[in-house]
Parts: sequence; C-alpha cells; structure tokens
Amino acid sequence: MSRGTLSLERLNPLTSLTGAAAVAVITTAAGQWAFSLAVLGGLLALTLRQARAAAVLRAATAILLPFWAALLLVHGLFFPEGRTVLAELGPATVTREGLLFALDAGLRTGVFVVAFLLFSFTVRVPELLSVLSARGLPPRLGFVVVSALTLLPAAAQRIRRIRAAQEARGLVIGRSLASRLLAARLQAVPLVLSLVHESGERAQALDARGFSGRQPHTSLRTVPDSVPQWAARRVLLVLSLAAVAVRVALALFGGRA
Amino acid sequence: MSARPLLAAHVASFRFHGADAPVLRDISIAVDAGSLTAVLGGSGSGKSTLARILAAWLPGHHGGELRGRLELGASGAGACIDFTGGSDDPRIDPAAWAAHVAYVPQDAAAMLSTVRDTVAGELAFGLENLGIPAGDMLRRIAGTAELTGLQDLLERDPATLSGGELRRLAIGCAVIGRPSVLLLDEPFASLDASGARTVELLLRRLTAEGTAVVVFSSTVDTLSRTATHWTVLGNTVLGNTALGSGEHDGGRQLAAGTPDILLAAGSSGEDVLARSGVVVPGAEVSGAGVSGAAPPRPVRTSAPADAAPVLELKGVRFSYDGPGASERETLRGVDLAVLPGEVLAVTGPNGSGKSTLLRQLNGLLRPGSGTVLLRGAPTDGTSPGVLAADVGLLFQDPRFQLFERTALREVAFGLGTKWRLFRRKQDDARARERALAALAAVGLEAHAGIHPLELPASSRRLLALATVIAREPAVLALDEPTVGLDRRGLAVLDTAMADATARGAAVVMVTHDLGYARARAHRLLRLDGGVLTPLG
Repeated sequence: MSRGTLSLERLNPLTSLTGAAAVAVITTAAGQWAFSLAVLGGLLALTLRQARAAAVLRAATAILLPFWAALLLVHGLFFPEGRTVLAELGPATVTREGLLFALDAGLRTGVFVVAFLLFSFTVRVPELLSVLSARGLPPRLGFVVVSALTLLPAAAQRIRRIRAAQEARGLVIGRSLASRLLAARLQAVPLVLSLVHESGERAQALDARGFSGRQPHTSLRTVPDSVPQWAARRVLLVLSLAAVAVRVALALFGGRA
Repeated sequence: MSARPLLAAHVASFRFHGADAPVLRDISIAVDAGSLTAVLGGSGSGKSTLARILAAWLPGHHGGELRGRLELGASGAGACIDFTGGSDDPRIDPAAWAAHVAYVPQDAAAMLSTVRDTVAGELAFGLENLGIPAGDMLRRIAGTAELTGLQDLLERDPATLSGGELRRLAIGCAVIGRPSVLLLDEPFASLDASGARTVELLLRRLTAEGTAVVVFSSTVDTLSRTATHWTVLGNTVLGNTALGSGEHDGGRQLAAGTPDILLAAGSSGEDVLARSGVVVPGAEVSGAGVSGAAPPRPVRTSAPADAAPVLELKGVRFSYDGPGASERETLRGVDLAVLPGEVLAVTGPNGSGKSTLLRQLNGLLRPGSGTVLLRGAPTDGTSPGVLAADVGLLFQDPRFQLFERTALREVAFGLGTKWRLFRRKQDDARARERALAALAAVGLEAHAGIHPLELPASSRRLLALATVIAREPAVLALDEPTVGLDRRGLAVLDTAMADATARGAAVVMVTHDLGYARARAHRLLRLDGGVLTPLG
C-alpha cells in the first residue's frame, strides 16, 4: 500500500471521516468566503502530500469545474437581489452581489467536495468496514455506507478499464474538451450498467461467504487507533456542534453571520 | 461408500426468468465423500448454471425457476429441499449452504469480497464472518496459502493479481472454510503448469481426506481423467456448428458413468463427448492442456512471408508505478520481431508479465525505455485508438473487453467513423455489415441482440474475438484465447487465426496450453524474469 508524506491512510478511518465531516460543517456554518478559501487552500496543501494526490485532484476538477461554471452563469449574470451593477450584457446583469454569492457558494462546495474526496481516496476500505462493524452497524448497511463513500474511486477505476477496452477498439481521446466530452458520453452507460451488474453478482458472493450472518464478526487485523486520535475526534465533534449552535443563535437573535 | 451422498440433486428443469426454454432438463447427480466427479459439456451446455444451482446461488432466490430437489447429506446438515418453480419455493440460506458446499465460479474474481486490500485479508474474509478468532485465522491462512501456492502473495492487493494468481486465491477462499463438498467451474483456466499442478495436488489431497470434489469443464484434463464419475451435458447449438450437429440437446444429461466406459473406443462414449463439444486431448498432453491435436485447417502458413517484420520490440523495459517499482520491473529488455503470417506463442509463469507484454503492442501500456515498431515505425506518440486499426488485442478476461448493450453493438463499436457524435447513416450500415460478418465468423450471428454478459463464458470469449477480427488488424494479440473454449470454440479460433495469417497478419498469442501452442505456432517463447527466451 503506497503511503505519501503526512499520509491520511495511516489514520483510523473514523478520524479522517470525522475530520472531513467537521470541515464541511464548520465551513458551511461559518458562511464566509474568505474562511472557505483558507480552508480550501489548507485542504489542497494536505492533498498534495498524499500518494493519490493526482487522482483526488482529477476527480475534484471533474466535479467542480462544471459546477463553478454553472454557478457563475446563474448567479453572476442573473442575481435578482444584485444592486451594484458592474456590467450589462443584454438581458443579463453582472452584479457585485451576484458574483460574491457565486464565490461564496462555489468555495463552500469546493471545501465539501475536496474534503470528502480526500477521505474517500485515502481511506482503507477494510478498516472502515471493520470499525463500522465494531460499532454495531449491520454488515450489509456497513457495506452500503462504504460503497457510497468510496463510489468515486471505484467508478474511476472502472472508467479506466472501460476506456482501455474502447481505445483497444479505435476510440481516440484527444486533449480537447469536445473529445473528452465524447469519451465521457461513450463511457457513461457502460459504467452504470457494469456497476449495476456487478452489485448483483457481488451480493451473491458476499452472502455465500457469510457476510450477512448475524453472529459477531471477528477481524484479522486490528485497526490502528490512539488516544490523540480519539481526543481529536471528540474535539472536532464539539467544534462542529459549536459552529452550528453559533450559526443558529445568530440567525434566531437577529444577527447575520 | 457412505449410505447417503454428501450432495445430491435432481434438476427436472431450470429456466431463467423470462427465458422461453429451460437451460437444464432431467439431470441427476449425487456425490459421495472422497469422490471426484467431472461434469463435462461444451459451450452453452448449462455446466455453470448447474454448478450455481448446486451451490445454492440460483434456486428460489435469484434468477430462475427450478423444478427438482436438492439434498444435502453432509454431517450435521441433513436437508432435503423440493422446488416446484413457484414463488412459494423455499429459500436457502446461502451462508449456511456454503459452510458445507463451497463454490469457485468460472470467473474467479466474482467470488472476491472487493472490500479487502490484501490476499491474506481476502482469505480471512469468510472466517471473520464466522467469528473465528484471529490466531486461528492466521494458522488457517498460512496452511491454505501453502496448499494453494500463495505464500509470497499474502500482502499483495487482490486487484493487482494475474489471472492465474486470482484463480488460486478464489480456490483458497473456498477451501479455507473446510467444506465437505467443493464445486469448481473450469478450475484450471489461466493457470500455468506449476499452478495447475498445485491445484491438482490440492484437489487430490482433499478427496483423500474425504471432501467430495466436483469439477465442471469443457475439457477432459488429467484431473477429470481420474474422476470416479462423469456426467456429460448436451450442448446448445449456437448458430452454425462446426461439427455439423443439428440436434438440440442443450442442458440435457447425455450420459453418466465412469470415464473408462465413456471413453472406451468404439463405444458410444466418444460420440457423446464429441456431440457435447467436450475437448478430449491426446494422451500425451499434461496439466491443464487443452488440445495438442492438429487443427483441421493449417493455422500457420508453411513459412512466414519473407518480408520485413510487421512488429518489432527493441529493448522494451516496463515497470508499474508504485513503491519499489524499479526492483519489480515486469519487462527487462524484451527484443522481438514478428513477420507477416507468423504465429508466435508466448508462455511463462503466472504473473510474469505476459498480459503486460501484449498491452505494449497496442499502446495501452508504454515502455519505460525501448521501442515498439509497427511496420518499421515507432508507436510512441500514436494513441491506442489509432494503433487499434493495426493491432487487435483479445483481453485475457472478456468481461473487461465487453461493455456494450448487445453483441452486435459490441462488435460494431469503433467500426464506423471516428467522430461518432455526428456519424452518417451509410457508415453505420457499413459498420453493421462488418459486425454481422464477424459475428457469423464466430457462430454468434443468431445472438446479435443478446446482452454480452448473458452469453455463456466461452461465447463471451468468442464475442471478444469477433470484436478483434472485425477490423482485420495486421497483428492479432491474443491473451489466453483457448480458456474455456469447447471443440466448436477451438475450431472457430483456428479458423480466425488461419484467415488472419492467410491475409498476411501476424498472431502473437499468450497461452499456458503448450500442446495447443506447439500445434499452431511457428515459434514458442517463454517470458520469465522479464525477458523472452526461445522454448524448444
């Protein structure tokens, strides 16, 4: 298993999951674009220290670029509450408020996406399943949770496989956006069909190997954990709750965050 | 002989949901402790379906209507279950059944959990689910790894294993639970000679210890020759059969008895095997070999054309990314020249990089250093999609090659214009015509509308072959093309290679089947330690 410097793979999966969730909750509660920007910068710096940095950045770009473009189009050009007009382009009006809203929403989503991608590309699936099971989550439910959390890495691997099969039969993928969009169109349906087909097949294999059994499961290896990690999880949880509480209090008692 | 068989089944009929006709009819099978049974049949005979029924992967729950009876006589698990094909049929607890009856599917990867990132973890998966303490697990993993030859692979990620290594892992996962009945579908597929020996020894040892072993195969290999009992299933006729049999006896029990009786010359035994499409290699063939018999039509021309090489590799070195990559260099300076019309076979141990070598030919992988030349021109800088016009690659696992919704769409993919967003109707018609011709060449024209994953495994391989031959490439790179093929499938493969060499194409095939390779190739090479050496 490859390890980068300051690798998140070494952490207990619950610590990295709590970290990702806390970062998302606190940033959303703060609702300040400058804070979101600082957090996003920190997350990107952390990403670059991981062995799978390239994969995380690729996935983040694929999700965020279209999303940011849509935000800019919708809110940058058509923001009903916008007062400070910067430019007028026919029916569209670029306003300062609209751009700031797009910036705020875009950065917050950026934090959310990068935090969870960082988690899903660095978590060791067997360890995550093991800690969820140790906390009493039924195995099937644990499998669903783990599958959902690691869907993107799994899909990325499968797309690579489908692309190899298509290239071996003459698909030429150029560097242009049009070429990449064409490739994505050709890979989307096979990806979904193969994920659906495999989920059925996998369910049979897992059942036959006793995965859904009711007796307590044991574990070949213990998942690494430590007192500092335990403490960090508690602190992150308290900080998240506090951030939400402050946000709700400000909203209820007239202030604006 | 025990009074009651460990496992017995009578399948009056089994029909997949939505299918017109049953895929299995009137089959009875019973296995005793310590017995070795071979269920033999050609492509589409229903072997894999029967295996899945016996493994309780199908009845009453998934996929189809079963009429008949399953009887489990294993100690402490006596059960007799009747199925009428109705919705109120009993359901079998798959885990409880699997504790006695373990099953290794033909597609070995299908039984892996995919939630374990080491071979040791995958072996432990079933034991963890039973709540077995870690100390016991470690002992059983060590024992199983030794029996399956996985000792050096315990810390590897299963996703990085070669086809043969994956099969041994799947067998390890099945036997580690100490079942009383072990069902194996094509257990020797993709295994090298040493892997095949390891598995054969393991299975003989298990039968000696009282396990009932049942192998499902389209080939009479050395293991099934020594079986206590054979059951031969009839072959579904797919399109035009090369053997000319017009009768449809697919999924029916054609014969049952001892190998000696069924093999006896002059008796009806040989006819039954031939009728079913089972491959019966010559007596001299060893291991998992398929067929050393000469093809009906010469696959190789008498001598390759006296021309410049169509394909050359010069000093090709390659290693996969990751820590320690340089120490684990897969290819360490491969030199090779293949002439037009030449058939070249590459053999070598599992995990030696044979599939990696083939992927260098069409640019799916690129050499770290060294050059691949196609008709004298270096291929670096040319995308795999462009190289595909000249190099057709048959993947080792057809599932990784097939991605479309129907067999026809599968073969037609990429045959039209490159710019597929705005393709013209006449291009589509031409592509369809070529695709139908390729489907006919592999005998699958009647199945053009079927989803590729609904085809039997051997037909899937032939469909993948059709996608390769449809574009008439100058080089055919075939990764274990014979695995799982019955007589008709081998005949189709022979014809495809003969057609290719006749028009001047070169064939580079990777295979573990030395008998097959010797009968068809001009040259036989061995890849080991990252270099190619001639093999006698």
